[in-house]
Amino acid sequence: MTDFIRNIRPLPSGEIKFSLPEIQKFSLVNGLQVLFIEKKNLPIIQINLIFNAGSKFDPEGKRGLANLLSMCIDEGAGKYDSLQLSDEFDMLGTHFNVNTTEDNIYFMLQTLTENFHRSVELLADVLTSPHFSQNEFEREKRKIIIRILQLKDEPEEIADMVFDNLVFGKENPYAFPIIGYEKDLNEISVDDVKNYYKELIIPNNGALIIVGDTTKFEIENELNSLLNNWKQSKVKNTKHVSNLSEKIKLFIVDKKDAVQSEIRIGHISSGRDESDYYSKTILNMILGGQFTSRINLNLRERKGYTYGANSRFGYFKDSAYFYVSTSVNLENTANAVKEIFNELNGIRNGITNEELEFAKSSLIRKFPSTFETNKQIATNLTGIYIHSLQDDYFNSYLDKIKAVTLDEVNNTAFKSIHPSKAVVVIVGDKYKLKSQLEDAIGTEMVEVDFMGNKITS
Amino acid sequence: MPNKKMSMNLLKINYEKYNLQNGLEVILYKDNSIPLVASNIWYKVGSANEKRGKTGIAHLFEHMMFQGSQNIDKEMHFRHIQEAGGTLNGSTSFDRTNYFEKVPSNFLELILWLESDRMGFWLPALTQEKLNNQKDVVRNERLERYDNQPYGLAFEILLSSLFPASHPYSWPTIGSLDDISSFTIEDVTDFFKKYYSPANACLVIAGDFETNRTKELVEKYFGEIKNNKFIDNLTINGETFLKENKFVLHKDNVQLDRIYLAWHSDKAYSMYDSTLDILSDILSGSKNSRLYKNLVFEKEIAQDITAYQFSGKYAGFFMIAATAKPGTRLDTLKAEILTEIENIKNNGVTEKELLKSKNGIKSNFIFSLQNIDSLADQLNAYNFYLGEPNSFEKDLERYENVSNNEIIKSVESFLTMPYVELHIVPKDKG
Repeated sequence: MTDFIRNIRPLPSGEIKFSLPEIQKFSLVNGLQVLFIEKKNLPIIQINLIFNAGSKFDPEGKRGLANLLSMCIDEGAGKYDSLQLSDEFDMLGTHFNVNTTEDNIYFMLQTLTENFHRSVELLADVLTSPHFSQNEFEREKRKIIIRILQLKDEPEEIADMVFDNLVFGKENPYAFPIIGYEKDLNEISVDDVKNYYKELIIPNNGALIIVGDTTKFEIENELNSLLNNWKQSKVKNTKHVSNLSEKIKLFIVDKKDAVQSEIRIGHISSGRDESDYYSKTILNMILGGQFTSRINLNLRERKGYTYGANSRFGYFKDSAYFYVSTSVNLENTANAVKEIFNELNGIRNGITNEELEFAKSSLIRKFPSTFETNKQIATNLTGIYIHSLQDDYFNSYLDKIKAVTLDEVNNTAFKSIHPSKAVVVIVGDKYKLKSQLEDAIGTEMVEVDFMGNKITS
Repeated sequence: MPNKKMSMNLLKINYEKYNLQNGLEVILYKDNSIPLVASNIWYKVGSANEKRGKTGIAHLFEHMMFQGSQNIDKEMHFRHIQEAGGTLNGSTSFDRTNYFEKVPSNFLELILWLESDRMGFWLPALTQEKLNNQKDVVRNERLERYDNQPYGLAFEILLSSLFPASHPYSWPTIGSLDDISSFTIEDVTDFFKKYYSPANACLVIAGDFETNRTKELVEKYFGEIKNNKFIDNLTINGETFLKENKFVLHKDNVQLDRIYLAWHSDKAYSMYDSTLDILSDILSGSKNSRLYKNLVFEKEIAQDITAYQFSGKYAGFFMIAATAKPGTRLDTLKAEILTEIENIKNNGVTEKELLKSKNGIKSNFIFSLQNIDSLADQLNAYNFYLGEPNSFEKDLERYENVSNNEIIKSVESFLTMPYVELHIVPKDKG
């Protein structure tokens, strides 16, 4: 048995059989769209209820409203006060939480099948009869304001917030942090939260995603009666466009005595709905999307500047960005920035066929593993809803990846990566970094605070 | 409430366990519901096997295992698995180091090839350049994840205060910067020769595979690797427990004061381990939990609070940490926490609190069955700590059986003993 040659990589044994689960699409009587996948291997049900109600809808001067709503909505509902409601979920062993992103508010629930009925009853209470009492509202607000203070300690969070702010520009609602600003929060009243809820948490402004051990019949049966008094209303919209910067810009948020520097380098990018999505996905795999990408191998495995470096195209509903993100030791901050620019310039000269085939192989073969857990499948369906993707998105995904050519990726690299118009954000010690960074980038460093506002000394 | 019988049937994990001639333990668990297969190896070595002055070598070594072996070039371990559409990683704790992959099931042989090459044929590929590079990477990891994080040094300070310097849990797995910098080719070579023997490892394969073929492949790739017969009989000498309370003040780049209280407690899977898990949930695991409700929800003197039972093979400790709202003194939080502990010692907890925690734990057991890779790791954990991979039911029973009486006894046995009190406060204060 031991008589074999170890230096030959074993080949795969045949091809695997993977069939996509079937998506059932229907609507409840109140108009709420449902995307459902039945999965019976375990007695578990995952629910993602999504609304187009994220922080981008926060009015000017009231930044932080959507997040505050999501913090308050489960602080008492129906016949339960805040503590009772939480207790009801906990007694079932059901996981329930409400989150805010730039685009959406999510109600996420994971329950055992035997507790499905009781869990959705509670969910319906939260959804249709939240109390929004003054006391609970004030407490949650105070908690958020102190959380904002704590963010000053967290370099990764600061880097991301400041990058969004400076790349999207003040006019774009993706520019401000989901958590909001302290001065804005002080202006928000409980009536603002109630109005926001009435305007945006409505059945024709979202989708219900369910994956797991139930049936279409059961879903309709439970939810049509629980949600029959919850009514449609006019849907709000918002859209803003940001432009690329004219030239390289360098910003720093000062963290005195920081031993590491957080780095973000990037710019706005074309949206999720553009036809170049697949070539951008492949491009990013090669550039910085995984461990053996050009950027990580260079900065980590060759230079040893960092524990890890990566790049991504991030897609909001109406805007998108590209960025490289890493944390490096103080001494090598400028060296790391230079190497990142080398990689961004380098990829514009094209990729190799070997890189293309590697990226395609990885994406294609990884596909089945993204349908393992109920939560993963629900996340996939959520993506379809948020970005208004076609019904056959998953059925055509593999063919679309396979069809991408070397020329397309090279074209995309040239069109989508703009080192000469990048915004560079550093969170680190400004005195120790100023001259090394200005020399490396050839532009003056501008100091901003942790919310991205210019500091004039 | 989760039906007891249902959860018990789900938690019956049918597996097969056997040993190769060279001592490698193998556990096979079949689940054909999705065409994926996971491999998970535990080497019975962690930072507890290190010596003072050489801290962090187990974790650094984990990095070195991804640097290629005789038949795999640097970077290619990752690349082969990613090209197959797989995911992979490793991690190091006090007690063990694990390496895991998940790939489409037709690539099972690929991961056996990669894992066996680094188990048996790692040494010839070691170079000074690779070692230097990974020392840099690990130093950056330490700076990024600990030194540059708010409160990032708390764990390290607690360990060194709670345990005597000779105790192997008195330093963190990441190690000290100086120690990381000091490691030589000889250090990592010795470490490999001692600990990376098949007889010191257990391989779990879980998911969609064909049993006979898999056994043949395991024999083919791992069978020829030599057993070095090395056994590390780690013993803990001297008194571990604190004799009196210890106070530590640490100034950090933070906005808010935070207090940590830490007591010695029970080891993993020993008598009060599950009781203390439930106690931590009753103290801080939900909105209605005792300390959260009192300090965060009602009095609003803490921004957050967490209680936690940490347990390993050689020791355990129970920790409570609370961040003070501006204007609240840490002494106030401390008094509230100690009053609640005293209250539980005298009056116990309610049946409802116990039931709620147990229901949550049961649901989490079932939720956790969704990932074939986390299931594989759990089989290894049970095998390592209990000698029986299929201990899901037994583990759940540990929690089912916790009574009010045991909660009280666990408080009496541990939380009335001397503790470490750590205050982390802003640099310009205190």
